Amino acid sequence: MGIGKQWARLLSVFLIFVLLLTACKTVNDPEAGNQSENGTGESEGKPATWIADRKIKGLVFMGTDDYTEDMNPEIKQKIKEMTGIEFEMEIMKAEHSIEGLVAGLAAGDLPDFIAFYLNNSGRPEMPVILKAAREGMFTDLTPLIKETQVYSKYLQDDYLPLDTKYGVMFRPEFGGSTYFIHMNIAREGGAINRKYVGGPYIRRDIADALEVDPRKIKTSEQLYELAKQVQEGGFKDNNGNNVYPIGPAYWGGKEVDVLYPDLWWGAVDQRIKPDKDGKWLHESQTEFPMKRIEFVQKLLKEKRIHPEFFTIDESRATEAALNGNSAIIADMHNYQEFNNDAHYLPIGPLDKADSPYQMQVDFKSGYSGWAIPSTTKNPEDIVKFADFMASREGKMLWQYGIEGRDYTLDDSGNPKAKQEVLDLKANDPNEAKKLGFAGVGNYFGELLGGTDIDRKADFGEMEYGDSVHPDAAAGANTIIEYWGWDEKRKDAKIVDGYPPLSFLGEFDKGTDLKTAFDNYDDSMIRAYYSKNLGEAQKILDSALKQLQAAGLDEYLLLLEQKNADEKTKLKY
Amino acid sequence: MRTGKLWKRILLHRYLYLMLLPCITSFVIFSYIPMGGLMLAFKDYKFNKGILGSPWIGFDYFARFFNDYQSLNLITNTLIISGMKLFLYLPLPIILALMFNELRSRWFKNFAQSVSYLPHFLSWVVVVGLVQRVLAPDTGLLNEAVAHFGGDGSIYYLMEPDYFYQIMFGSHMWKSIGWDSIIYLAAISGVNPDMYEAAKMDGATKWKEIRHITLPSIMPTIMILFILSLGNILSAGFDQLYLLRTPGNMHLSDILDTYIIRVGLQGGQYGYATAVGFMQGLIGFILVVIANRVSRRLTDTSVW
Repeated sequence: MGIGKQWARLLSVFLIFVLLLTACKTVNDPEAGNQSENGTGESEGKPATWIADRKIKGLVFMGTDDYTEDMNPEIKQKIKEMTGIEFEMEIMKAEHSIEGLVAGLAAGDLPDFIAFYLNNSGRPEMPVILKAAREGMFTDLTPLIKETQVYSKYLQDDYLPLDTKYGVMFRPEFGGSTYFIHMNIAREGGAINRKYVGGPYIRRDIADALEVDPRKIKTSEQLYELAKQVQEGGFKDNNGNNVYPIGPAYWGGKEVDVLYPDLWWGAVDQRIKPDKDGKWLHESQTEFPMKRIEFVQKLLKEKRIHPEFFTIDESRATEAALNGNSAIIADMHNYQEFNNDAHYLPIGPLDKADSPYQMQVDFKSGYSGWAIPSTTKNPEDIVKFADFMASREGKMLWQYGIEGRDYTLDDSGNPKAKQEVLDLKANDPNEAKKLGFAGVGNYFGELLGGTDIDRKADFGEMEYGDSVHPDAAAGANTIIEYWGWDEKRKDAKIVDGYPPLSFLGEFDKGTDLKTAFDNYDDSMIRAYYSKNLGEAQKILDSALKQLQAAGLDEYLLLLEQKNADEKTKLKY
Repeated sequence: MRTGKLWKRILLHRYLYLMLLPCITSFVIFSYIPMGGLMLAFKDYKFNKGILGSPWIGFDYFARFFNDYQSLNLITNTLIISGMKLFLYLPLPIILALMFNELRSRWFKNFAQSVSYLPHFLSWVVVVGLVQRVLAPDTGLLNEAVAHFGGDGSIYYLMEPDYFYQIMFGSHMWKSIGWDSIIYLAAISGVNPDMYEAAKMDGATKWKEIRHITLPSIMPTIMILFILSLGNILSAGFDQLYLLRTPGNMHLSDILDTYIIRVGLQGGQYGYATAVGFMQGLIGFILVVIANRVSRRLTDTSVW
């Protein structure tokens, strides 16, 4: 009994001691971090970039190929020193990023912010996040971005492209509120940060042997003749096997519009545009599908195109490009490292169905988005942090690393990548990536900071390391010059608007029509492989019937109305 | 009185019941509690309200599914594929088990069994990858063999609807037959050897032994497995078909499982996908009950 009392006393003393300790404890543990220490009022002795002493955790519904959870500890520490923020992110792994997003939203247990793919309002993620916003899952960001340096530009009249403004962020239904930020917006309209030359490429040695200038190929018929010459030339790949005259796209089997743009209607993933009289048509309502089927069937029958052109997996397609098995790679671009010696040259560009080729440049375009769940405490901290990441100072940190360790500053204050970092990147990219910034392949900062983009104005170079090591993109630059990128850019058409499929979400039969569109795309490929044109016509007729049953005609009428409104103009 | 006896028996065998407890708990947690989620099939799910708080919408999803122009095709494809896997495939592991049982060399029997089990441990991603390589036009093993013997050698089998069922069934059989034969082999080894002795003395041939002793002895096992697999009649195997699907065979390979993933997970329509999944389970359950009754009446064998 006596011992029991003694124990009780000891326990009481211990409890009182613990209580006292708890009461004296300062508010700086991660959980308490949600109690923001305001950066402006209470940041004496702190840098001007100080936000709050807290943790910010993000959940990313994007592929691990594009982003990584691993942050360099020194960069993480630097962020902490500059802003007080302990930044962490987790990537939700899923076979398709949208599956992760749907599951994550349904689970409801979301951290301080979420990030997701969002090229435009027609992307499959859009209806999902829109539903979440309508159901009150996200914080209204309009009042929060008003006080920021970079993101406040989103509130200016002429800053955002139409789709971002009215389709993604400030949708009329939200009455001025916005629940997600669209990223990757260029500072200047029509600006291009990379001079991409995409489309079909031919092996230079083959073009030379055939004495062909690939730039003079302007029609699919000329391309067919070129493929025929390649086949008759008996060219071999690096392993001594016969080449395929036309091989698949570098990234794997898919439909490739740039191979025969004169047999195509609208943009590759849209297939909708108006005819000469202004009537909106889907490709299935034109003569082009049958023309294309005839063309592809001829290529397949005469073995001038890879038999698995539309379905081959990425590894085999890339292998075919790397070992020269594809005399013509149906689609690649000039920044691919394997072609730094420009041993593949661009073909064309080929003309369109109803007009000669003209470069088309988006006024501005988005790529991803982020949102703050309504459960996040002090959401203004996250917005301030995003604003810091999007500022020049923030970008310098996540794009160039740490001064002294990864770069030095030149006289005009622009970063110059260190030679040893560039060498490491060239010789051991995986090891270089561990340095933890975008220049070496770790794009963590892009999630919240990748917007208001103008690399030339911010850092004096278009590509990381260009100013120190101009040879790094030697192949790309050779091709840019060879193809005449700059001249084509001068005559480019700058477009701003919505892709035609953006309005499926608000169309009554949107789900059915989306399924019917997918079915049409698949039916086209099935028709390429059908036994004859009669069978192909039957497949197409059936796909068109499904499209009409799913409300294609009503949807085209809706597009006509949308295009008549300045706020919802379409691009095609 | 009965309850008292029951508790007495439980108390008597308390250690056995204690050993059973983890199993029952895991069933309750992982199989029964999640069944509450089936409520979604009758609700308009809202992210912010959760399953319980979302409003009821009755049978709307079921009506929508049957009004969908795709539903007939989806059900037909599912029934054909699962029917093939159920009825055509059923005798094959039994035959393999009978063949294994007749092998006299112990070493060869073990070796053959191991080889036949191995594909079971490969994921469908690997198996379909192999199928794609073997059947690739021009460079695939099969096409090269065909070309070697003077044939065309450029057939793109996976794009041809005419070959879809053969490829689907063949790859399913290759992956599953060895593993599925184990249970039959176990049943065969439980047959009383005296019956074979007696049959031999009566002059029975091998074939007659199989027909009149082995098969009737393992019939209860066959019936029970058949009844249980009927429950999956509307699930034709998502992984395999999702991976084998090409634009050429999509009109044959699109099944309820692929549809559920497409509209449910990729389209975010949980309620609708749950309704279709619920329907699959319900029809499977009804079929199991009916088959169980019929089997009990005809063969005296039943699951319960």
